Amino acid sequence: MHLYYLREAWRSFRQHQGLGWTAMISLTATLLLCGVFLLLTHNAQSAVRFIGDRREMVVYLRDEVTPDQREALIARLTELYGTATYVSPEQAWEEFSQQVGDPQLLQAVDQNPLPASLRVRLRPELLNYPAMEQAAKQVSQFPEVEDVRYGGEWVRRLDELQATLARGSLVVGVAVALAILLILYNIIRLTVMARRREVEIMIRLGASDRFIAAPFTLEAVGQTLVSALAALGLLFALEQLTVQQVVHVSFLPAAWIAAFLGGAALLAWAAATLALARALRSAGP
Amino acid sequence: MITFEQVSKRYGQRMALDSVSWHMDEGECVVFAGHSGAGKTTLLRLITHEIAPSSGTVTVGTFRGVRLPRARRALLRRTLGIIYEDFRLLNDRTVFENVALAVRITGHFADAEVVPRTLYALEEVGLQHKQAAFPSELSAGEKQRAAIARAIVNRPAVVLADEPTGALEPASAKEIIMLLRRIHEEGAALVTVTTRPDVGEALGGRILRLDEGRLPAGTAAAGSPYAPAGPVDTTAPVAPGPGA
Repeated sequence: MHLYYLREAWRSFRQHQGLGWTAMISLTATLLLCGVFLLLTHNAQSAVRFIGDRREMVVYLRDEVTPDQREALIARLTELYGTATYVSPEQAWEEFSQQVGDPQLLQAVDQNPLPASLRVRLRPELLNYPAMEQAAKQVSQFPEVEDVRYGGEWVRRLDELQATLARGSLVVGVAVALAILLILYNIIRLTVMARRREVEIMIRLGASDRFIAAPFTLEAVGQTLVSALAALGLLFALEQLTVQQVVHVSFLPAAWIAAFLGGAALLAWAAATLALARALRSAGP
Repeated sequence: MITFEQVSKRYGQRMALDSVSWHMDEGECVVFAGHSGAGKTTLLRLITHEIAPSSGTVTVGTFRGVRLPRARRALLRRTLGIIYEDFRLLNDRTVFENVALAVRITGHFADAEVVPRTLYALEEVGLQHKQAAFPSELSAGEKQRAAIARAIVNRPAVVLADEPTGALEPASAKEIIMLLRRIHEEGAALVTVTTRPDVGEALGGRILRLDEGRLPAGTAAAGSPYAPAGPVDTTAPVAPGPGA
């Protein structure tokens, strides 16, 4: 890549600033929309992951289960489903007391009604509704088991939320990509038309398509990268504002930012290539 | 060098060139003369492959074909130096940048190559002192000299000039003719098209008259500035084109 092409791209931008700024404002708005959705997706994914990590199955034991039977069951459950931890009725009461926090209310209960239980932190591959349902059914068949709880309904909703987010990301991503392609395609064609005489002279002098197209492509990629950075800046400001005003929101991780910038640049390059292939053929002899 | 074999070019119903055959060798000077609409510019545009012949074959150096692919056309044009009546300079660039553009188009980007070649070309046309000027700051004669510098900066084997003095007052026109003559004397083949008989005479090359798209054999009276040096073009290897 020669410095000459960069100088030409800058010259073109300065000469057609109206078009350039129109492109960058439109691109910034489009990319900001994409950024907002990415931020939402990222935070929702983090939340889902956080909640998902805490998904566990609680296995209530029958009162008559002996310590040996219990240990054997722990070993079996750990082998099949994930780490199982014993929670005695006393521990369960203590946790319950801490959660309730009102001593008067607790004094109203004569004796500890809570059963002994096993908490099973499920293996990652079992952290979805069908697998959890299946595991719960199987565990409930053990003779030592009184009951199994795993919050089936909210696990199912969590899975649905994740699927909706994935679909939403895809739809918004495709829409934004098309919008970027359309904006750049038209802006580049307009720029070529505005510089038609210059392009025509270069064609007559024997310039290759690559020679003519390189500055236009660089200009488009440059405009898109600046727009993407502006969109990220606005998004960061928005995130800071949200953190102060409402809830904690974490900004996009470095890998997402790199993918965002890289994707935008790639789209710009594709749009420029498509637009120039057509525009140059109609520009000169 | 350049050969037209039974070349015709039709624009709709109008025949711009009609079975034209001619040939020129390296270093030769040929002037096509004729009135407006005689087919002169069409002939130049066929040489540069800006348009394709309706029939016949145009050969320029090693480039031969009815319609060259886009990349080959660009390559062909890089081997030519082209001068237009309306100069076709880029108005937003200085004289130096206009001339340097032609060097960069050939794939040379380093200043060490571009600068000396550009300055040399500007010196040859006597325009070194105007290298920082924009076309709008130049007279018509200076603009044409800048266009000539751009045409010769890559040392082309052939220089094509389309009515090079058409937009100039007599004094500038004379200077431009002298310049073209010098370029030709230094070894470049020169193809000029003009409506002005004095240009053909002053350039001193072989003059071929185009009349209604034809090169009439033996029609010009002896002594006429439009008289061919022999029969219309004795050096032309005439062969029927594909559409002939």
